[in-house]
Amino acid sequence: MTLEWHAALDAVIHHPLFFVGLTLGVYQLAVAAYDKTRWIFLQPLLISMVALISVLLLLGIDYADYKKGTGLLSMILGPATVALAVPLYLNIRRVRQVLWPTLITLFVGGLFATVLGVALAWFFGAETMILKTIAPKSVTSPIAMLVAEEIGGAASLAAVFVMITGIIGAMFGVELLRILRITHPAAQGMALGIIAHGIGTARALQESEEAGAFAALAMSVMGVLTAVLMPLAVALIA
Amino acid sequence: MLLRGLSWLVAFQLAGTALNVLFFPVIPGPILGLVLLFIYLMVRGGVNEPINEAASSLLRYLPLLLVPPAIGVMAHVADIKADFWAITGSLVISLLVSIVFIGWLMQVLIKRQARKKGGV
Repeated sequence: MTLEWHAALDAVIHHPLFFVGLTLGVYQLAVAAYDKTRWIFLQPLLISMVALISVLLLLGIDYADYKKGTGLLSMILGPATVALAVPLYLNIRRVRQVLWPTLITLFVGGLFATVLGVALAWFFGAETMILKTIAPKSVTSPIAMLVAEEIGGAASLAAVFVMITGIIGAMFGVELLRILRITHPAAQGMALGIIAHGIGTARALQESEEAGAFAALAMSVMGVLTAVLMPLAVALIA
Repeated sequence: MLLRGLSWLVAFQLAGTALNVLFFPVIPGPILGLVLLFIYLMVRGGVNEPINEAASSLLRYLPLLLVPPAIGVMAHVADIKADFWAITGSLVISLLVSIVFIGWLMQVLIKRQARKKGGV
């Protein structure tokens, strides 16, 4: 008796849950690798991307098929983005005493970081699509991806820029600030949270509880400000 | 409990979608849902347990949910190659300069506020 290996393999690969299963498996491996090593480069999202893209290329699978097959996960992304309102609310409540310095820094600093990034990319001769994708580089990935897509950039590319910005910011931010004698925990937290979002917030928490709280707040507010104001600004300019 | 919180989040997302079509076509639906939920929490003056539970459960897996859309970067290899140095240069320079500027600004503003309070 011969077993129908090919038929079985075929049925598994073409099952509607195959890509969901593959993504879940790869993601958990990436999380395990990060937990074990604590290397800042091994961001689970980044490692999952590299691993899954390799698998898809190896199996010769189109992105369109993969995307269709993971609709289940994408559907939950909307409510998860809405859920970001909860940390935003809790963080704002925590830093009420220095609300004004915080809000001014967020607005001026956030605008500065955004404009500088786009201006430099433009100066270096990047294409319009890239400029629009670089604009939300300092915000947390779900928001950056939505905003990039809305204003005419590429969501997936935005995720990569966000990761790079977060990793470099978290790696060198605190040391750079220390050399320049910027050592107030709130200042460290704000700088890391505005520029390096979630990855920077994790780094700020290692410095101190206070720096972590400010980073978390900065990241939440920066995300929402960018999400609301950037599409409006782009609509006005264009 | 989890189910009730999830229902709330879905309801806010759907309300955001309605607002997007009605009034704010340039702001994505989930973002409007986020803003609505934030306003609701402000008015309510606290986070109730069902929403808190659903939010923290979902946010724990946020990176996982972002994997599928992020894989789309496969289609942009040529764009990255074409502008590689412009991208790398602008990302690195802008983030280092901005971190210093933001840290400096926050430190100056906090010290000024402390001085004002001390003076009164």
